[in-house]
Amino acid sequence: MTDVSVPVGRAPSGPPGEPDPPSRFALRRSAAASAKAEGFAPQAEGQTRPRSGMRVTAVHMGVVAGVLAVAAEALFDVRPPEAYGVCMACHGRDLLNWTINAVAATDLPVAPASLVYPLLTTVGVFLGAVAAARRHGEFRWVMPDHPAKTFLYGALVMTCALVAGGCAIRLTLRTAAGEPLGAAGFGAMAAGIVLGTWWLRWRASR
Amino acid sequence: MTAAVASLLVGLVLGYLGQRSRMCFVGGLRDFLLVRDTALLKGLAAFGLTAWIAFPLARLAAGSAPGAPTGTDAITLLVTIAGGFGVGYVSTLANGCPLRQHVLAAQGVTSSLTYLAGFFAGALIFHVWVAPSLFRLLP
Repeated sequence: MTDVSVPVGRAPSGPPGEPDPPSRFALRRSAAASAKAEGFAPQAEGQTRPRSGMRVTAVHMGVVAGVLAVAAEALFDVRPPEAYGVCMACHGRDLLNWTINAVAATDLPVAPASLVYPLLTTVGVFLGAVAAARRHGEFRWVMPDHPAKTFLYGALVMTCALVAGGCAIRLTLRTAAGEPLGAAGFGAMAAGIVLGTWWLRWRASR
Repeated sequence: MTAAVASLLVGLVLGYLGQRSRMCFVGGLRDFLLVRDTALLKGLAAFGLTAWIAFPLARLAAGSAPGAPTGTDAITLLVTIAGGFGVGYVSTLANGCPLRQHVLAAQGVTSSLTYLAGFFAGALIFHVWVAPSLFRLLP
């Protein structure tokens, strides 16, 4: 809504006729291949496809995320606990605690899936988003206000997510896995979003 | 090792797609309530439905018993509901779910970088202070 990113679609990428550097090309190829592997081919491949690649919608992202989250758990041992394939909060906590444990020989808890090597989902998301933003010319420094407030929001969301046993993604995942506790958390999250949106609207209308 | 590498690759794909699609797992409901925009809500529904279909298939392929939902006590339920509510409410105020904040930070939005600093500080706060007090509540 108040996002700072520019519309998706045709970001300028170099002068026409100039071939992409190999690394960029490889990245695009792999993105298209992974998109295809999940069951949706880019519409009109090779016809009027803009240079910036196909337009990725939220539905595409949702389907890919669902498949990858289940596959990570079922095929690549991202467990226990159950329904642990993707979680921004728990995996970030695992990485942080694992690193502190390794450096300072402390005994902070990590999930069993992260005992030997930590899960790197958060690092991957960050790097993947950097690559996407750079490739489409959408990387720029933006400095909005209230750093103290956003810091507090971050701390609160992480604390609440660890209390509930999952961020927004994993609560959805647990619900999809048929866990009643996860469904309760998901319902509460939806209620929180509704109330938060009312609060935003109320504050804007004053 | 497998899990670490797999999670890194999964993260790379999700980060890339998340930047392109501007996906947010909290923003869907918010956008629908504010401006009746269903784009992100459809993404959330697609994620949930895909996982809902894929979980039984994965269990079938793995040949293992389904992860039986365990019974729970009232305090765990209450704590989960309180935590879930907090995640939804504060994420709405913070203008995005944790995934969206990671993506925005990667795009150069400094407030999201501050958010991430708070995010990881929150993990320490939880383990040092919140979790011990919660465990005292549990039977």
